[in-house]
Amino acid sequence: MSLHLVRAAGANSLALVSTDMARIGILGVGAVGARLARQLVSTDDDDVVLRDERRTRVEMVAQSLGERASINRGALDDPLDVDVVVLSGPARTQTHLAERFVRQGIHVVSTSDDVTDVKALLALDSQARERNVHVVVGAGFAPGLTCVLAAHATKKFEQIDEIHIAKSGTGGPACARQHHRALGRGAIDWRDGAWDFRPGGSGRELCWFPDPIGPQDCYRAELPDALVLVPAFPDVRRVTSRVSATRRDRLTSRLPMLWPTDPEGGPGAVRVEVRGRSEGRGSVVVYGAMDRPAVAAGAVAAVASRFIVDGALNRVGAAGLAESVDSLAFLAELARRGVRAAVFEGESRA
Amino acid sequence: MIRRAMVAIGMGALVAAAVRLRGSGVAPPRSGGWRELSGPGLD
Repeated sequence: MSLHLVRAAGANSLALVSTDMARIGILGVGAVGARLARQLVSTDDDDVVLRDERRTRVEMVAQSLGERASINRGALDDPLDVDVVVLSGPARTQTHLAERFVRQGIHVVSTSDDVTDVKALLALDSQARERNVHVVVGAGFAPGLTCVLAAHATKKFEQIDEIHIAKSGTGGPACARQHHRALGRGAIDWRDGAWDFRPGGSGRELCWFPDPIGPQDCYRAELPDALVLVPAFPDVRRVTSRVSATRRDRLTSRLPMLWPTDPEGGPGAVRVEVRGRSEGRGSVVVYGAMDRPAVAAGAVAAVASRFIVDGALNRVGAAGLAESVDSLAFLAELARRGVRAAVFEGESRA
Repeated sequence: MIRRAMVAIGMGALVAAAVRLRGSGVAPPRSGGWRELSGPGLD
């Protein structure tokens, strides 16, 4: 394997990038899967094998990517000759697939932000360890980028007390449907060493995202962030997560989705607030990022795949990115691909 | 009696809807801004 250092765009930091080509399978070529495939083909010179039950869609995506992309017409859970498989299909379709590929000894990256998926994927840990396989859980915008930002922020503290995640915006239609469902279901937070279940759509908080998203009302929802962050920071007292929503979103969250969504999603942002003690004093660090959620999620999944190929993950088994990667190297590589993080300087609360 | 009960239920529903819509938000930040992470440590 050959590695070389590159200077991250817009930053003076260095990212470790392999020049080895890999063969990556992508199961699901919606908004995130298509962006991910483009990243791997254009930035990493990887070969991608695309699988999706929507024939026209997969053909259109493959055609736009050129000769490095090929279509595999097998069933989603048929064996694949790849180094890593990325599960970028809709929520609640990924667990069974992950289990199949782990059994075959193939590394898995999942972009799901569904609580049921994330719990089931984390439960594959011992099975993945036995086979010396990586299962990266929640390699998207949130969880995903948020986990790496949280890990980066915690480096500034001697003791971590609280992590609060907020997300605004959705990727493609599948992501929008998942966001809609999550708002109508119970939230899972972590409080003083125990899981804390609260109603979805409650706990309004005005969260300030990087420009141009700015301030958005955010609410509790069925989000998996705490599930992947608590194992990474076992001493943390509180972990919460919220999504931005309008009053219409909240009032209709328990009904089927009544309106069409943008196939590519709109602009979005994430915000990660970490509270703890540094030099004996209480302190707060707020990180954020603004991008199209599908673009950022595609980049995060692409970098996670590259880290697996390069042997740059911290551990085998199933875990979120906060546990699995060096946050500085990961953020530097994301910056090189145009996904840049920001820090909020000033008063985080009045 | 039934009318009173209906009025009470209606009033309760209205108050619950108002509380649910209003929520219990905290004060927003009043100063500060975002700066892109930069430097070797992405600080």
